[in-house]
Amino acid sequence: MAELTTLARPYAKAVFAEASEKSALDAWSDDLATLSAFAADADLAKVLVHPSLTSEKQAQALIDVCGDKLNEAAKNLVAILAENKRLALLPEIAALYEELKAQLQNTVDVVVTSAFELSDAQADKLATALKAKLQCDVRVTSEIDESLIGGAIIRAGDLVIDGTVTGKLSKLAEAMKS
Amino acid sequence: MQQLNPSEISEVIKKRIESLDVTSQAQNEGTVVSVSDGIVRIHGLADAMYGEMIEFEGGVFGLAMNLERDSVGAVVLGDYKGLAEGQTAKCTGRILEVPTGNALLGRVVDALGNPIDGKGPIETSTSAPVERVAPGVIARQGVDQPLPTGYKAVDSMVPVGRGQRELIIGDRQTGKTAMAIDAIINQKNTGVKCIYVAVGQKQSSIANVVRKLEEHGALENTIIVAAGAADPAAMQFLAPYGGCAMGEYFLDNGEDALIVYDDLTKQAWAYRQISLLLKRPPGREAYPGDVFYLHSRLLERACRVNADYVKQVSGVEGKTGSLTALPIIETQGGDVSAFVPTNVISITDGQIFLETNLFNSGIRPAMNAGISVSRVGGAAQTKIIKKLGGGIRLALAQYRELAAFAQFASDLDEATRKQLEHGKAVTELMKQGQYAPMSTADMGLSIYAATEGFLEDVEVAKIQAFEAALLSYANSEYAELMAKINVKGDYNDEIAAGLKECIEKFKSTQTW
Repeated sequence: MAELTTLARPYAKAVFAEASEKSALDAWSDDLATLSAFAADADLAKVLVHPSLTSEKQAQALIDVCGDKLNEAAKNLVAILAENKRLALLPEIAALYEELKAQLQNTVDVVVTSAFELSDAQADKLATALKAKLQCDVRVTSEIDESLIGGAIIRAGDLVIDGTVTGKLSKLAEAMKS
Repeated sequence: MQQLNPSEISEVIKKRIESLDVTSQAQNEGTVVSVSDGIVRIHGLADAMYGEMIEFEGGVFGLAMNLERDSVGAVVLGDYKGLAEGQTAKCTGRILEVPTGNALLGRVVDALGNPIDGKGPIETSTSAPVERVAPGVIARQGVDQPLPTGYKAVDSMVPVGRGQRELIIGDRQTGKTAMAIDAIINQKNTGVKCIYVAVGQKQSSIANVVRKLEEHGALENTIIVAAGAADPAAMQFLAPYGGCAMGEYFLDNGEDALIVYDDLTKQAWAYRQISLLLKRPPGREAYPGDVFYLHSRLLERACRVNADYVKQVSGVEGKTGSLTALPIIETQGGDVSAFVPTNVISITDGQIFLETNLFNSGIRPAMNAGISVSRVGGAAQTKIIKKLGGGIRLALAQYRELAAFAQFASDLDEATRKQLEHGKAVTELMKQGQYAPMSTADMGLSIYAATEGFLEDVEVAKIQAFEAALLSYANSEYAELMAKINVKGDYNDEIAAGLKECIEKFKSTQTW
C-alpha cells in the first residue's frame, strides 16, 4: 500500500498541475473518479493486467468502457499509464489528487464516527471546533457505530481523536494490566 | 483456586482507576501493512519521529527505525504474534526509556528494565532514555584512578583506569567472560557499581553468571541486563544501550561504575538482522553502513566526567563520575581483521587479546602480552604496580624472542639461559585461577619476588605453590605492611625493604 502511494505520487502531481493550469480541477476530479471506479472493478482489472494484451489494447478497453465521459487529456493519461503498466494505480492516483485538491482549497475531510446520530447543533459545534483546531475548512462525514457505546471518534487523515467509551475502557484495561 | 496477586487489592485497584488519565488526546494513527520477523511496516503515521515508541493493538510497543515517504518501518519490542495486517498503530510521542537507580542493583532485568528474576517489581522513580549523546569535551576529565581487575597479568601490563574502554577479544572458549566476571567480583568492596549486559547468550550461561556472582557476594552491587539468544533481535540490539543508561545514572551521581558488554559481536548480528529486514542496503559482511556508529556511540558513553558536570546534572558536589566499559568481542579463528573486531579495536582505549594456543597450553588467563595494550591505563596505575610491572612486560617480551630463537640452538651462553629461565618463571607466575582476584599488595609482592630475582632458585613447576605459600605467610606475618600497600599503593625504599625482608624470611622457612 505504501509503495503504491509512492508510485502514484508523480502521476497525481502531474495531473494536478495540468488541471490547475487549465483550471479544470473539478472536471479532472470527475474523470479520475470514473476511471478509478472502473479500474477497481474485478472483471476489468483482470483485463488490465492480462499478459496477452498489448498496452494499447488495455488502454483502449478502459477508454471504451468509460464511453464519452472522458476528455482527451484523460484519455492520454490512460494511454501513458498503460504504456508504463501502471493502470492498477488509478485508485491511488485519484485519492492523492483529491488530497492535493483539498490542500489547495484548504479543506480537510473529517470522518466522525459516533455511537448515536449527532444532532444538528452537535454537528455544528463539532465542525466549528475542528475548524479552529485544524485551521482550515472541514468537510464532515458522519458514521454511526453502536459498538462504540458512547462518545465519538474523529479522524482527519492520520490524526485521530478518540473520545469514545470503548476507547476509554480499553485504556483502563491497559492501565490495569501493566 | 487461582491465587490473588498483591496488585489485586481493592484499594490498589481503586487508586489506579483514580489516577488514570482518560481525557481524549489527538493522536497520529496509521495502519499496519506488513508484519515480518519482528519488523512492521506501517502506512500513515506522518508525524512519527525517529526512535519514537509506536503503540500497537494489545499494548505491544514498537520502535520507529525507518521513516520513509509513505510508510514507517518499526521493530516490535516483545511478542509480535498478535499483530496482523490492517491493525492500527499509534504514535506515543515518547522515546524508549529504562528504569534507573540503586533499586536495580542485585536484579536481573531484560533489555527494557523489566525484572525477570522473580523477585517482584523494582521500586524506582527514575528513568532515562536508552539513547543519549555522550558527554562532550568540556565535561570530561582524564583517566587517573585505577580500576583493578584482580588479575596480575592485566593490572601489571594492561592496566584499566576508571572511565576507560578496554576491549576483551578472543576466540570462543578462551576465557573472555571469565575475565569480565572476575573483574566484577573484584569490585565488590570498592564501591564500584557493575552492570553485566548479556547479549545473545544461552539462558543457562546467564543463569551461571548470576549464580557465580551471588556465590562470591558480588551480585548486590551488580545489575544484570539479559537479552538471551531466544529474545527478539530488537531486544538484543537494545540491551547494551539500556544497560549503558543504567550505568550513566551512577556516572551522573558522581559514582564509579563498570559495564561489561558480553558480547558486541552478537549485538552487531542482531542489528544486521534488523537492518536487512528493514531493507537497508547491506555493506561489508552484510552489515549495514552504520555498524561503526552502532558501537562508537555506545562506547563513547563510557567516560570519566569532572565534578562540574556531576554538579550540573545531579547536584552532587565535589565528585567526579566514571563509567568504565569492558566490551567483549568474539573472533572466528583468531581473525581480528574482520569488520566488527577492527571497528571496536579502533574505538576502544586498548585491548586484551586472549588466545586459544595459550589457553590450551595451560596459561590462564590466556592473555597475549605482546599485542595486548592499554592506551590510557598507565596513568591510572598504582605506584607500586607501575614501578614493578614494567619489568614483567620486558621479561616476557625478551623471553618470547629468545624462546623462538633458542629452539634451534643446542648450547646457549649463561646470560641467555638465565633470561630464558626468568621468562619461564614469569610466565608461570602470571597464571591465575578463576574467581581468585588478588589485592594490590598480593600482586605487588608476587611481582617484586619475580623482578628482584627471588624466583631464580625455585623450580618452575613449584612457582605457583611458592606464590600461594608466600602470600599466606605475608598476609599473616606482615599484615601491617600488606594493609599499608593496599590502602595507598605507594612504592618507596621503606616498602621495598619491607617486601625484601618478608620474602627473605619466608624463603628461610623453606615451606613450599
